[in-house]
Amino acid sequence: MNAILAAFELVFTVDVLLTLISAALFGLLVGAVPGLTATMATALLVPLTFFMDPIPAVGAMVTCAAMAIFAGDIPGALLRIPGTPASAAYVDEAYAMTRKGQAEKVLGACVVFSAIGGLFGTVVLIFAAPALAEIALKFSSPEYFWMALLGLTCAAFIGAASPIRGMVSLLIGLLISTVGLNNPAGVPRFTFGSTDMLAGIDFIPAMIGLFAVSEVLRTIAAGAPPWDSVQSKVGNIFRDWGGMIRTYWPQQLRGNVLGTAIGVLPGAGADVAAYVSYAVSRRLSRNPEKFGTGHVEGVIESTSANNSSLASAWIPALVFGIPGDTITAIVIGVLYVKGINPGPTLFLFNPQTIYAVFLIFILANLLMVPLGWLVIKLARHLLRTPRRVLMPMILIFCIVGAFASNNAAYGIVLMLAFGVLGFFMEENEIPIAPCILGIVIGPILERNFITTMIKSDGAVTAFFERPIAAALGGVVVIIWLSLLVGAWRRRHANNPAA
Amino acid sequence: MRFSDTMLGAVLLVFGLAVGIYSQTFPAIPGQRYGASAFPTAIAIGFVGCGLVMLVRGFRAAPFPLVTRTEWTRKPGAMPAILVTILCVIAYILFARYLGFIPISLLLLIVLFRMLRVPWWQTLAFAFAAAFVCDFVFRSILLVPLPQGLMPRLPW
Repeated sequence: MNAILAAFELVFTVDVLLTLISAALFGLLVGAVPGLTATMATALLVPLTFFMDPIPAVGAMVTCAAMAIFAGDIPGALLRIPGTPASAAYVDEAYAMTRKGQAEKVLGACVVFSAIGGLFGTVVLIFAAPALAEIALKFSSPEYFWMALLGLTCAAFIGAASPIRGMVSLLIGLLISTVGLNNPAGVPRFTFGSTDMLAGIDFIPAMIGLFAVSEVLRTIAAGAPPWDSVQSKVGNIFRDWGGMIRTYWPQQLRGNVLGTAIGVLPGAGADVAAYVSYAVSRRLSRNPEKFGTGHVEGVIESTSANNSSLASAWIPALVFGIPGDTITAIVIGVLYVKGINPGPTLFLFNPQTIYAVFLIFILANLLMVPLGWLVIKLARHLLRTPRRVLMPMILIFCIVGAFASNNAAYGIVLMLAFGVLGFFMEENEIPIAPCILGIVIGPILERNFITTMIKSDGAVTAFFERPIAAALGGVVVIIWLSLLVGAWRRRHANNPAA
Repeated sequence: MRFSDTMLGAVLLVFGLAVGIYSQTFPAIPGQRYGASAFPTAIAIGFVGCGLVMLVRGFRAAPFPLVTRTEWTRKPGAMPAILVTILCVIAYILFARYLGFIPISLLLLIVLFRMLRVPWWQTLAFAFAAAFVCDFVFRSILLVPLPQGLMPRLPW
């Protein structure tokens, strides 16, 4: 109980609340601008968090990400351009509703069901995380090895259009994570004589490069064309709330549950949750023929799912230190910088920090309704900001952010290199998210592999000797086998003669 | 610029082999079977595997040029725009220390805005605003030691 009171004291200070509101507005703006993703918003926020206390730093990132995921729905509904990938699943549906003159209904649905979804995910986080932490206290290196491998498997294969390209991205990330001195043997690897690289590849400039600089390059290459003019005026978004909640509560609940479940999986995030939920909604709907013609049902289910997955992605991040999605991957990096080491012991020694994070989640989702309304009202003007003015300014912001990560020009060099890498990867349809997860999870995987091998004197059976490890290992093996069988079946279905 | 499956496969294969061979030079942990080279070698095997799968896929598919130019590269000015942007960042890396943050970022913003055909008055207004606001937020509030260079100290 004392810890909960302490958490309230940590959160309800003027500084923290002001930080939350500013971060919320930043997240809403970035999310509402097409092409700028929630991950990018979080990455751009990182340099600012260096100068904050741990709680406002984490709070700013939580709030910013939640707002950006919701705000991605706005340009989706008004322009048919998803603001973030998590809104891409239902962008056609939302736009069809706008064209039928129901912009306020669809945007209203997005606000309210995003907020409810976020709260649902938070409740699951609050109850599941401490319980899982009890189990995680029994974890040793083999268990962490399997958890890390599970995360990497999900990252590469779930929701990837082409598993092989997802795998390539993951391997790039893993290779990047090996650079430097920081490995169990303490040997410099892939540093090629550079003293800067001995410390490894700094994660923050890499993130800024992969997510922000590559997008700037892409937009500038296209000549930063302006968006089409916004279609319609948005009326009272609160009008249809009651009716929608009464009619579609089963869909909302299903979206919440599915989104939370996908969020918990290490490595699969909000965009996957939205895609899966939309597909499920269509399959189980009583009127599947209405989908795609401007029917709110699928929008409700998937917008509920993407926001709930955002909160539950924190479960593996806080409990095991293994990121649930790209956003938590960034946050884990910041937690380490702030001296909060994610893992089960956090629940023992720093419960007030955990409760403060939970409180911030609840606050962020409650803030979403009034601020969301404000941004929807401003959206027409917001979407008129010319991209040709925005992009050079974002580039300068990226440069300063990359520099601030360790106050050296080396950060900017890394940022540029990763910007070009990210640009090239997108050109070749290699997804970026697995690469990020590879960079974060790689060291965890290697450390636990080598530690287990040293403990067992090189006997690989050590990975299956403890009960939890054996169960986790079994799950990983089953997932791999099912992927192989699936690929084999698809091939035979495609060319039955072979 | 888009690589075909064959090309991408070949690049990954060669890269994987190079990483794998280089990894063998890392010293072992004395008395242990797995050391610094174990993880990079596993990654290298992964690259080689992916490369082989893509090569096979590329050979099976209809012949496709090894490198194709994507839609946007054919637009006049697209490639130069990318080059100029990258050169701008390189210029920042090389000259920021001598010129200082505000002068170099002003230059950079003006070049980029003009390249994107922003009218002159907007270019100057936005460039000055962005450079000074960034400097104020990061140097004065967040205490990031942005390079000072030729720039005199500002009163705030």
